[in-house]
Amino acid sequence: MLFVLKRIGVSVLLVWVVATIVFLAIRMVPGDPATILLSQGGVAPDPAAVAQLRIQLGLNQPLGMQYVADMHRLLVGDLGQSLQDQTPVAGEILRRLPRTLELIGAAAVLAVLLGLPAGLLAAIRRGGAFDRIASWLAAVALAVPIFVVGTLMVAIFAQGLHWAPAGGYVSFARHPLRHLELLAMPAATIAIGLAAILFRMTRAAVLDVSMRDYIRTARAKGVAPRRILARHVLRNALMPIVTVLALNLGSLLGGTVLVEYVFNWPGLSGLLVDAVNARDYPEVQGVVLVISVLFVALNLVVDLLYALLDPRVRHG
Amino acid sequence: MQRLRPGPVVAVGTIAFLALLVPLFGLDNPLHMDIAHRLAQPTLAHPLGQDAYGRDVLARLLWGARVSLAVASSSSALACLVGTALGLAGGFLRGPVEFLALRGMDVVLCFPPLLLALLVVTLLGPGAPTLIPLLAVLYLPGFVRVVYAGVLSVRTQDYVEAMRSLGAGRLRIMLGTILPNVGGPVLVQFSIAAASAVVLESGLSFLGLGVVPPAPSWGLMIGEARATMMQAPLLLLWPCLALSVTILALNALCDALRDAVDPHGITRRRRHGGLLDRLAPGLLPAPGAALELAGLTIAIDTPSGPIHPVRDVSLRVMPHETLALVGESGSGKSLTGLATMGLLPPIARVAGGAAWIEGRDVLRLDEAALRRLRGATVAMIFQDPLSSLNPVQRIATQIGEAVQAHARSPAKATWRRAVELLRHVGIPDPERRAHNFPHEMSGGMRQRAMIAMAIANQPRLLIADEPTTALDVTIQAQVLELLAALRRESGMALIFITHSLPVVAEIADRVAVMYAGEIVEQGRVAEVFARPLHPYTAALLASVPREDGSLAEAIPGTVPPPYALPPGCAFAPRCRFARADCSSGTLALTEVMAERLTRCRRWSDLA
Repeated sequence: MLFVLKRIGVSVLLVWVVATIVFLAIRMVPGDPATILLSQGGVAPDPAAVAQLRIQLGLNQPLGMQYVADMHRLLVGDLGQSLQDQTPVAGEILRRLPRTLELIGAAAVLAVLLGLPAGLLAAIRRGGAFDRIASWLAAVALAVPIFVVGTLMVAIFAQGLHWAPAGGYVSFARHPLRHLELLAMPAATIAIGLAAILFRMTRAAVLDVSMRDYIRTARAKGVAPRRILARHVLRNALMPIVTVLALNLGSLLGGTVLVEYVFNWPGLSGLLVDAVNARDYPEVQGVVLVISVLFVALNLVVDLLYALLDPRVRHG
Repeated sequence: MQRLRPGPVVAVGTIAFLALLVPLFGLDNPLHMDIAHRLAQPTLAHPLGQDAYGRDVLARLLWGARVSLAVASSSSALACLVGTALGLAGGFLRGPVEFLALRGMDVVLCFPPLLLALLVVTLLGPGAPTLIPLLAVLYLPGFVRVVYAGVLSVRTQDYVEAMRSLGAGRLRIMLGTILPNVGGPVLVQFSIAAASAVVLESGLSFLGLGVVPPAPSWGLMIGEARATMMQAPLLLLWPCLALSVTILALNALCDALRDAVDPHGITRRRRHGGLLDRLAPGLLPAPGAALELAGLTIAIDTPSGPIHPVRDVSLRVMPHETLALVGESGSGKSLTGLATMGLLPPIARVAGGAAWIEGRDVLRLDEAALRRLRGATVAMIFQDPLSSLNPVQRIATQIGEAVQAHARSPAKATWRRAVELLRHVGIPDPERRAHNFPHEMSGGMRQRAMIAMAIANQPRLLIADEPTTALDVTIQAQVLELLAALRRESGMALIFITHSLPVVAEIADRVAVMYAGEIVEQGRVAEVFARPLHPYTAALLASVPREDGSLAEAIPGTVPPPYALPPGCAFAPRCRFARADCSSGTLALTEVMAERLTRCRRWSDLA
């Protein structure tokens, strides 16, 4: 229990550090954010407009005051208003976040279904034909950047073969089948790279565990190979695999940017890219914060899961 | 460091070389537009055609390599320098510097990489001047951690302490002793950083947030070609191919470097290949023996031919009997035990001889038959009970597994049997202890649990591989006592592998002394200890610490490794009695007196 509380405490601390860094980063940028924001095409902005924007963003107050006000707003869940259309940032994020999570979730399921059994099989038949072919495929999959995979998928399956729509989004409630059709290609794009990582990790972890002394003990007891694999090897290999999966899901939270862009998937990352292009500070700050919090939370879940899987951690 | 595989080095080198020499190729200006020939097919002047603005695709592709690699290598170099400095400072100065360096990296890791990149680009605008420091920050944690870990492991080592006490300055110690030690992992980290920098740079450029157009960059080219995907699919293909091949080469270089720095896992596997090459000696085992080894030879295949860490080992153990297998580490005694169980590590194989357990040669049994034998007829306990027990299973589950592996047994009965076995090996409060995980028990308790596991099916032969080495002296005595008691009541044969002669005197009836893979002397313990017939046994006995406090005699020199065995008698180079003819010919283990065997030409001169 103490372990759990300690981990939660560390996570809260990390979130606070992240929020502070984002706050400082925006204020420490060379030049006045309000001026930069209003400078379009090299024309010097109207000083009156700049002054007004400074008031709206709270930039006219001392830094300490701004910080306290900012943290207080964050605590009550107010992420400010978009500079583009004055709508609350939090609302827009809440609307888009589930779409990104759905994409990542679907990709993770596909990747686990593909990568885990393949890695296991490759480790069991190490050096065999399957191992060599799968290892080679994984190396290739890891070498092709995600946006290249996506772009090529669009070129081949949408433009070339007309098997699937090139991109877009329809909510599940409105049109379930179409929704899944649109989900398939972006999810598969993410899943390919993730499956390659999982394949490698599973293979390495299974091989590593197979060399351990306690596997030799199990063999010395005369335990059947199938049972050794299931009860001793897999159980112990699962820990590093879970870690790798979770860490990668975390970086996918930010990394779906490219996939959402290629497939026109209106998720959180798309919002971020638009906000970056429009220099919409409150929106960028909001999205970055939300993703970071999710990332930290995911790490927390991994640690707790670890404790569940490995009795040794519980006392640590 | 091991040898580096040349393939990936050549591939990355070629790409870097091309990128460096692009200006000399006399290609078109990659920025020169020619709208009249937009999307033109390949011609002699433009071998890969022209893009949507009529620019030469080949020129843009090659110049793009320059941009990609320049950004990747300069950002990795920056990260490498700063990260190494931070890691060194944190690991060596400790205190607040250590805290700041490590926690700072945790904060960087809080942001998904692409996210941090987008945040920075928003604030500072796109372009190479933003990109390089940004990527450097992203890859800092890797370097800091690798160097910090390296410093930690080196810091406590004797030679660093020694230098310190000699008055060497901190900076000199850091640069002189620690840097070369972490060089390999840092190099690996560098290649990883470079590879992922190429990926990230191209991704950002693809979004229009990296390299600023019209400069050529693969990411930008892919982004631009998307618009004309239908008319000119090749425009999309070339940069995709260039990018992927570059990353593939860089990844392969990472793997090759990693293998070169850390040779673990590059093991060659050959199972039972030469098993029947050498025929078993045409003898039949003695009737009634629990185990009979005849000419057991074990080989490990290395790139420069097979080596033989165990050669021509013959011995016999009868029921009720305890045989001690004694030798220094590296003498082959553990391998002998493992071979008898059919549990040799994958790199080793049986190259000759036979091992009969109850009349069956276990070296020629298939895996299924071996499995039925292991844990039932013959069982083994290992040196380190902590690493030999599954960390995530309760102790009774692991004991029960030994029962269930050989007989159908319902779960409840199995658990009860496990508790009973725990009680049998003297574990107090076995009902409660049964629920423990291995890490919740003491070392002595764990070894008792291992023993319970081994005797679960009343084996005829128990092989104990240094079962008391990891334990302190009182616990050691208790475990020896337990093994002796178990042997008395069940009549099983016991092979006790150890390097400790006092332990031999305590537990064994007979002893076989091993040196450099061979048995050099065999006989009844009392007789061998009273009158050793091999100089090595004599030297071993003389090297035991005396109870009266007088100085023990150390044996000069070291055991020769199996790849550098001297000709003739393997012990001759260290032997006080060696003559010129000791270092030639082959020596056989000969029975020179009743039940006394030795592998020495001068045994009669010893007494």
